[in-house]
Amino acid sequence: MESYVIPILFFLLFFCMMIGVPVAVSLGFSSIVTILLFADDSLASIALKLFEALSEHYTFLAIPFFILSSAFLSTGGVAKRIIDFAIDIVGHIRGGLAMAGVLACMLFAAVSGSSPATVAAIGAIVIVGMTRVGYPEKFAAGVISTAGTLGILIPPSIVMLVYAAATEVSAARMFMAGMAPGILMGLILMVAIYIYARIKGLPSSPFPGFKKIAKSGLTALGGLMLIFIVLGAIYGGVASPTEAAAVASVYAFFIAVFGYRDIGPLKHLPWKKEGESIGSAIPRNIIQMATALPKSFFNKEVQKVILDASKVSIMLLFVIGNAILFAHVLTTERIPHEIAETIIAWGLPAWGFLLVVNLLLLIAGNFMEPSAILLIMAPILFPIATQLGIDPIHLGIIMVVNMEIGMITPPVGLNLFVISGITNKSMGWAISASLPWLLLLLFFLMLITFVPQISLFVPEMFDKMHGYK
Amino acid sequence: MLANIINKFEESFLSLLLVSMTLLVFSEVVLRFGFNTGISWSQEVTLYMMAWFVLFGASYGVKVGAHIGVDSFVKLFPKKMRVAMGLLSVSICIAYCVIFMIGAWNYLAKLHQIHLEMEDLETERWMSESIIFLGFLFLLFRFLQLFIRILKGDAEGFSHIDEAAESLELAAQIKAEEQAIEAGSK
Repeated sequence: MESYVIPILFFLLFFCMMIGVPVAVSLGFSSIVTILLFADDSLASIALKLFEALSEHYTFLAIPFFILSSAFLSTGGVAKRIIDFAIDIVGHIRGGLAMAGVLACMLFAAVSGSSPATVAAIGAIVIVGMTRVGYPEKFAAGVISTAGTLGILIPPSIVMLVYAAATEVSAARMFMAGMAPGILMGLILMVAIYIYARIKGLPSSPFPGFKKIAKSGLTALGGLMLIFIVLGAIYGGVASPTEAAAVASVYAFFIAVFGYRDIGPLKHLPWKKEGESIGSAIPRNIIQMATALPKSFFNKEVQKVILDASKVSIMLLFVIGNAILFAHVLTTERIPHEIAETIIAWGLPAWGFLLVVNLLLLIAGNFMEPSAILLIMAPILFPIATQLGIDPIHLGIIMVVNMEIGMITPPVGLNLFVISGITNKSMGWAISASLPWLLLLLFFLMLITFVPQISLFVPEMFDKMHGYK
Repeated sequence: MLANIINKFEESFLSLLLVSMTLLVFSEVVLRFGFNTGISWSQEVTLYMMAWFVLFGASYGVKVGAHIGVDSFVKLFPKKMRVAMGLLSVSICIAYCVIFMIGAWNYLAKLHQIHLEMEDLETERWMSESIIFLGFLFLLFRFLQLFIRILKGDAEGFSHIDEAAESLELAAQIKAEEQAIEAGSK
């Protein structure tokens, strides 16, 4: 009887998902049927399990908070300020505008935590700008769609929080581990761009001078401070990711509504009007800001941001709650352990296992949404990896990089949809534009897979600093 | 009219929950760093709010078509098949809700019997956890609604969230702003 558990559970799960049942219900339904058939848990205990999944994990709260903070800052205004800053820094190098696109994607990714949003916000401005000064449009589109995938690798990242939720690995350590690979991938992209630009003789813009860099840097800092607050608090060990995320969303609200004034009651009201003296600007601003705070609760734009963030968070958390039920079935039926024993009996070494994992995830990434894949696969792969002596943090980074690749491979590569949307070109065009960069990303995946130190050295460094080791 | 009021209520309630959770955790941090103190009930209340947020919001998600799902497979089929698959998938969802409602009812009944209270507040847990039943009740209602809509031919199945489309909205907005600026500078 026992041997039917695995096929029934997975058949039900995939059948439900294929015919269009929402992922959350697919996970919950297949788990509950398996429990009813093979275990003697009561229905009441299953309901309790789901309630506990949603009410006993303080760390899960980081997810809605980060979604809220990124919703406030995923605006065109923030993207523009970051792009200006990036162009000032690297624009004077050959191929600099493309590099600036990559840098802007990295920075915006850290603020927004979402890949398609990064491609949309940065791409909408940079791709047009690049073609205007003579870059091939295909090249520009490929660079941005690939750099946009960094959104889920560079912390703070929602996908990493989902991995942490699925495996109970520390989210703070995942955030530390993502930093070095994220920067490395950005550098690899920039080097590739530089080589290409040398060969093709692509243009560079004149050096803007340090004064201009300082000015655009200061402007962009309003949004970028968010990264420092979050990572500083987490790396410094003074706050949990949940607390850092709550502070981040309050900060994001103030920057978006009062600092940048991209949305809300102060929209388009300048800090200093033309010809206005500082003496009259200060009291005017104070009065306006004091009245804007209560006003912003009734402001349509602010309300929309909060409602959108609620929607996204609820859907994700509902999937997570059901995925925990699914993971519960897996563990009580000892499914991962059985698979692990089989694999060890085959004599498959750790690197061979990782290779198989990569293939599996790459295929899955072509059909499913990243967080859904993580929630289904992580509870299965995690115990196996532990038995084979693979660090769970390393496994997490590998999974995230695989998800990145899934974003630029058809048929459900979100970044491809966005790219074809903003350039008004076909999906086929977007795919072929991203293809050369996809190869680079695959190379990067191999690097991450077989050199665990890239992912692990930052968290280990912090362990030493805090004297844990 | 009634639908409008319900919609407004759902949206305000969910937004209010998210904002309150954020502010509660935020003030907890401020109190700890600034005043070296805290709110004893804050963590438990925030966590219960999260459960209410998700379980109450799940049905709202069905109404606005925000659930995460896979539709690339369904799209391969002709319309008749898609409708059949839609009906089957909503039926599965209805079964899922009914099972959970029975489980939740039994569980809440037990809590009610033994008068268990929350850890930091003097509220009985069957009340503070009642959303586990109510949430699935609302969810069931939305699924039944969807089922009827598919039967009537107003829908084919679930409409899932489309992150790409949402990002494109952002891109369109940015492009419009850019053009406005360019037009202004000319």
